[in-house]
Amino acid sequence: MLTVRALTKIYANRFDAQAGGVRDVSFDLPTGTFFTLLGPSGCGKTTTLRCIAGLERPDQGRIAVGDRVLWDSDAGIAVPMNQRGIGMVFQSYAIWPHMTVFENIAFPLRVAKDRRYGREEIRRMVDEALSTVGLSGYGERPATRLSGGQQQRVALARAIVYRPQLLLLDEPLSNLDAALREEMRVELRRLQQQIGVTTIYVTHDQAEALAMSDRIAVMDSGRVVQLDEPRAIYFRPANEFVASFIGAANLLTGVSSGAVAAGEVGAIQTGDGESIGCLFPSGGQAGGKVTVAVRPESIVLGPDGGGSTNGSNLLRGTVSAASFLGGSARYDVRVGSRVVRVVASAEHVVPAGTSVGLVFSPQAAVVVGA
Amino acid sequence: MSASSTVAERAQAARPAPWLNWLRQDPRRLIAFLVGIVLAVLMVPPLWILILDSVTTQDAIGEITGFTFGHFAKLGAEKNALISLWNSLVFAAGSTVLSLLLGGVLAWLVERTNAPLKVLAYLATIISMGTPYILHVIAWLFLLGKVGPLNDVYRMVTGSTDNLFNVNSMAGMVLIEGFLWSPLVFLLLGATFRAANADMEEAARMSGASVYDTLRRISLPLAMPAILALALFVFIRAIGGFEVPALVGMPARIYVLTTDVYQATIVVPPDLGYAAAFSIVMVLIVVVLLYFYGRLSKSAEKYHSVTGKGYRPRPFDLGRGRWIAGAVIIVNFMIVLVLPLITLLWMALLPFVQAFSMKGLATISLHNFTTVFTQAGYFELAMNSLTVAAGAATAIMLITALAGWIAARGGPGGRILDQLATLSLVFPGICLGVAVMEVYLRVPLPIYGSLWIIAIAYVIRYMPYGMRYVYSGVLQLHKELEEAAGVAGAGSMTTLRRVIVPLLTPALVAGWLFIFLIASKELAIAVLLASPTSKVIAVAIFDQWVNGQGGELAAFGLVWTVLMTVIACIFFAQMRRGGSDVYGN
Repeated sequence: MLTVRALTKIYANRFDAQAGGVRDVSFDLPTGTFFTLLGPSGCGKTTTLRCIAGLERPDQGRIAVGDRVLWDSDAGIAVPMNQRGIGMVFQSYAIWPHMTVFENIAFPLRVAKDRRYGREEIRRMVDEALSTVGLSGYGERPATRLSGGQQQRVALARAIVYRPQLLLLDEPLSNLDAALREEMRVELRRLQQQIGVTTIYVTHDQAEALAMSDRIAVMDSGRVVQLDEPRAIYFRPANEFVASFIGAANLLTGVSSGAVAAGEVGAIQTGDGESIGCLFPSGGQAGGKVTVAVRPESIVLGPDGGGSTNGSNLLRGTVSAASFLGGSARYDVRVGSRVVRVVASAEHVVPAGTSVGLVFSPQAAVVVGA
Repeated sequence: MSASSTVAERAQAARPAPWLNWLRQDPRRLIAFLVGIVLAVLMVPPLWILILDSVTTQDAIGEITGFTFGHFAKLGAEKNALISLWNSLVFAAGSTVLSLLLGGVLAWLVERTNAPLKVLAYLATIISMGTPYILHVIAWLFLLGKVGPLNDVYRMVTGSTDNLFNVNSMAGMVLIEGFLWSPLVFLLLGATFRAANADMEEAARMSGASVYDTLRRISLPLAMPAILALALFVFIRAIGGFEVPALVGMPARIYVLTTDVYQATIVVPPDLGYAAAFSIVMVLIVVVLLYFYGRLSKSAEKYHSVTGKGYRPRPFDLGRGRWIAGAVIIVNFMIVLVLPLITLLWMALLPFVQAFSMKGLATISLHNFTTVFTQAGYFELAMNSLTVAAGAATAIMLITALAGWIAARGGPGGRILDQLATLSLVFPGICLGVAVMEVYLRVPLPIYGSLWIIAIAYVIRYMPYGMRYVYSGVLQLHKELEEAAGVAGAGSMTTLRRVIVPLLTPALVAGWLFIFLIASKELAIAVLLASPTSKVIAVAIFDQWVNGQGGELAAFGLVWTVLMTVIACIFFAQMRRGGSDVYGN
């Protein structure tokens, strides 16, 4: 129901011509999707969001909600931001300090041009928005006397009060402390499902993205590098960037031993002479150079000397560093010329210097770059 | 003498005196004490003497002969005094509204919209920083005056022999004073608009509000405390304004409080009791206004909410209105800069002041400029002004670097230091002139009639500005920078010398330049303190205007403006650099 086609917005930069902005971003979102733009700072996720909001003018592309075109550079259509009917929560919340909570939330109804809302109607809709975000009874409070979490809820209430078709959230949790952030994460997702509004969420926090989203677009240098469901993003990263940005995967390089069909398991030969079975999501040719991503928690740490069982891969190495993280333990294991990171249960501690065997299934070793 | 008593005496001698111990516990106490004395000696006597003069009768040599409320009674009884008070209020209110309109609209257009030609607004502001107000006043007197182009054109078009506009009127005073203050309003409101969180406006736009709705319901209410505070500030300055009332009002016998004080001081014999009583009234007005100003500034800060990441705020798209906005900027540029400059140039190039005409064009010469550059008097005058302004700025920054640091960090006696250093805010310039004159007539120091007394008056007058620069400069330095030096083993003094002062340098330089710029064009204080041998620039221009030497003063004023513009450019460059150099945050 939201369509973004070939969206391009390039910022000229003093130092090099091709610095910031977004290039050729396209996606389609069905109604009710919780969609996340994920990436490091400067990847273009906020620019994409602001283009959809109408806060930036794209250079090229087309943006439409349902049948209604908001922006089309070829057709010369540019709907001003205040007529797009989009709800947005800003990173700083932008709660107007000279108004009460009630007036802040009522504002979109009071300035609406397409229809006039009566006094009673406004009161009812604001109260409803307040109770949706769990702030019933806070209406008459001055906006300057709110905690960070409350400001966030007010900003959310203001964005949903006129039931927009699209809700934009620009890193809304980044100004909250850790505990509150966890709580709001669950809360936001619950609210979104309750209202059923199509939502675009911008964040650089991969945990947030994985926990909340129906679909995630990972962005790098102004381009969408992978658009998929959270599980696929995590377990089938499309390239090295995605693999290392999300969950810090181990990257192993090698040469493909034979031709492999797409989605099949094949073997590669590493520089240190090991043979590793791995999954080729898009197939591969014999002798092709490949990079394989293995998640630290997909690797089982076993005693050295055991053989590999039922087709699992086995690498031998020595623990060079071990750190206890409470719920888990993290090991740096030296394997040949590389260091492989392993996250394991913390119940049994393997001290540094121990010789170990690293076992992981070929399904957990995904080719990310050919 | 027994042995035991000797031991006790020795112990007594070895233990430092309690007051010394008290100082050693916190070396800042010594600084606070010394700086406090310097500040008290400078700042307190002028206020004290004004109060004393206003309630005593004195003989010819200033000995107090008795106490009286006669001066105030005379003030209350005299109808002229009430008229002056009323005139002052009308004059200040009118020029405040006008300058806020001119400067405020310009600031909004330049900072928050995509209006074209923004650079002109900055250019006008920078150059007006360096131009003595009195030059502006003279230029506008000419432009709007009887022989000026406005009335000239009117007479030509209508064939009438009357004038369209009489500049020597309250309307003329308000108009010119309003023009004078609009660059400052532009500068200060511009900073407010720039610092405003653009998310606030964008959130309104996203909520469906039009540009107009956003402006009316969000931008303006949010800026209102800052606007009101600034209005009060300009009002206070206009109440104490002297140039315009003296040059524009006095010839038409329109008196305000400042010109009344001036008149009472320059008549022979001077009626100092009356002048002092008048001054006390003005000081009281200013104190009340300052109280409200402080409260407003506080609530302005309250609206400074959390700002998001430094996303470049998107200026409002004015659409076709852009060109109207551009026209507004050009009109302002003409009013603040071009018209006064052309006028001064015209005056400077002609042998005597006359209307713009082709006939006059034939007689232009560089004669006035030659005079300015060859006569030793002008060089001396320039040197006097530069020396006094530079000396005052240096002294102020030395004192406030210490006082401001202690006050900003809540050190010993910080509040007292702060109050002492900002005490002179209550004085309109002319009142301070009277007060300083009185103080140093009584002190057995041979500085009356020399440049020293002007320098001291400037130091007193501009101390609060130095304090402000240092105070906010220190607050910008993260306190941990100081604490880290302390933990590393540095004492307070070493921390001050090795950490604070180097990091504070941009603020100190900016403060110095600012004080230098405003001190070098000050008229109101200096007009009462300067003697024929110790004149500064604004006073000389004032005298020359009164004597009708328009051409030379215009030539000299232009040369001076060029010099000051260079310094103003350095000041703005420094401010810009200082802005990005926020350490430790």
